[in-house]
Amino acid sequence: MSLEFAFYPGCAGKQVQKEAEWSARAVCAELGIKLHDMPGATCCGAVSLRETKPAFSLAVAARILSEAEADGRDLATICNTCLQTLSHAHYRFRTEPEILEKINAVNAQAGIRPYGVTNKVRHLLWVVTDMVDQGVLKSKIKKPLNGLRVAPFYGCHSIRPTEIFADKAGEKADHLDRLITLLGGKPVAYDGRDRCCGFHVMLSDPTEMRQMVAKNCLSAKGAGADVMITPCTLCDMAMGAYQGIAEKTVGQSIGLPEMNFAQLLGAAMGIHESKLGIDRLHIDPKPALAARGVL
Amino acid sequence: MAEQTYTFRIQRNQVVGGGRLESRWQEYQVKVEPNATVLSALEEIKGHQDGSLTFRQSCRSAICGSCAMRISGRTRLACKTHVGIAARDGVVTLAPQANQPVLKDLAIDIGPFFKRIQTIRPFLEDGPETATQVGKTAYDHVNQVSQCIMCGCCYSDCTMAEVSPEYIGPAALAKAFRFVSDPREGKKSDRLRQLSEPHMMWACSRCTMCVHVCPKDVKPMEAIVKLRTRGIAKGYVEGPAQKHALAFHEDIKKSGDLNEFTLMIRTLGLVGTLQETGSALHLLKKGKIPSPFPHQARGIDQVSKVYNLLEQNPLDVETKAPEIVPE
Repeated sequence: MSLEFAFYPGCAGKQVQKEAEWSARAVCAELGIKLHDMPGATCCGAVSLRETKPAFSLAVAARILSEAEADGRDLATICNTCLQTLSHAHYRFRTEPEILEKINAVNAQAGIRPYGVTNKVRHLLWVVTDMVDQGVLKSKIKKPLNGLRVAPFYGCHSIRPTEIFADKAGEKADHLDRLITLLGGKPVAYDGRDRCCGFHVMLSDPTEMRQMVAKNCLSAKGAGADVMITPCTLCDMAMGAYQGIAEKTVGQSIGLPEMNFAQLLGAAMGIHESKLGIDRLHIDPKPALAARGVL
Repeated sequence: MAEQTYTFRIQRNQVVGGGRLESRWQEYQVKVEPNATVLSALEEIKGHQDGSLTFRQSCRSAICGSCAMRISGRTRLACKTHVGIAARDGVVTLAPQANQPVLKDLAIDIGPFFKRIQTIRPFLEDGPETATQVGKTAYDHVNQVSQCIMCGCCYSDCTMAEVSPEYIGPAALAKAFRFVSDPREGKKSDRLRQLSEPHMMWACSRCTMCVHVCPKDVKPMEAIVKLRTRGIAKGYVEGPAQKHALAFHEDIKKSGDLNEFTLMIRTLGLVGTLQETGSALHLLKKGKIPSPFPHQARGIDQVSKVYNLLEQNPLDVETKAPEIVPE
């Protein structure tokens, strides 16, 4: 069975965190997963659009989901907030048919194909851990992590709320841990695992956001982590790119390399670091990876 | 189900000289069935092993909210949590609620929590916006949030409260929504104006933790989202968080993707943006400055058309919770 998805990287994956998108594509090429671009897709609007224009946010989600559905494909993303936003809309369309009907009627007036709720919203990480044959995945690991201690940072919007994410929600989420173990690494248990990266208050409550970043990274480091990985481009931006800024705010140095899960997976597959955009990371993970023979 | 021996690792807390809190961990072995509640195990410990262990309890039925505590990492009601579900490799870890002053062992001072609730004036007020007619479905909004039992689980696990003692917190905001959405309330706009101030409804980071931990399915963050919608509709759009939220629909209908390049200036204004120059330079080091010309989505005219249609004929899509009436 070949795996094919409509690929929805999200605004950050297309812009500031493009290394995550490069890595996702590189990893999928190795695994034989086909990612199809979505030329019509817009930004999902995140929770912000649900706040300012609730009906428009559902219309936007229906249009995005419908574009994937028209080609008979599930949608796969690498951004937790896109995942939550589209899953939230999907959940409402599934459980409130009268809302779907109204939204489809408005969309139809603008020439948008009605959404039939026949496809699913998936995180690319779930595809890798739950849909790809794990034996095949293992056979692709050319550079096992050799006991590298990896802190899994799940990020809020892929594990909450429970009514949407069900068996992958909250404390039940273990897909990042399973991936780390499969790659030959050791998952680190620490307090920050299911906490908030603060991305969505980065500009409006900068001090609080930076304290969140510092707290999570220090907790991971205190538990012995060599690197941290996340499944989310927004968490990457907060915990990685903003870590140095957070250090100044809290007056403490941290220096914990942070990577997207697809970057670490790609490195373990032996994909060249230039294809994974490792140089675009603020805290260089190469010494930690080289120490275990990964790079 | 057969009884098993579980280890209860409990944080013992004692206020010593100068108000300083002395903490240590103590372990107890308890033989119970996996579906026994954590509260019944605590009673077993207090009754038969260590009478000095302090915790709060009352109704045993998830109604009073007294026994909220951190159980294996998350704040839950001890009377509603099964030992077998809470145990990790046979160990149940218990600690007092976070973000609250600890009095002794697992008991916290709930006073500061209730002060926050009082801030939002938790009672109906007469005023110019009091509805004279109350429709049959008017309480479908109120129902969801009126299930709150004030246990404090959401505040204890709130990721914003952890770093911001000034933040009002999810429970108080859910309570505020209970009054803002009540047709009889007379000062809805006044409430929304106050809720639009710093450290109030716009400070929530949208982490959804409160929805996850609430033992009564109040969904505080959903109430916060609805409060924000109402605040924006009333024109309380002055703060950076409001401006940030308002940037999204403009970009989506114009080009499709978010224009992250101009987002900062639209959120913080020119002066605020200049103050962030240091951060911008830090991001620039790794080329993490977005393009000022975001990708144009195919068929973008469809999106602007839908936007205009919905502006002309607004659709009410708010989630509601109809009252459950006995048959």
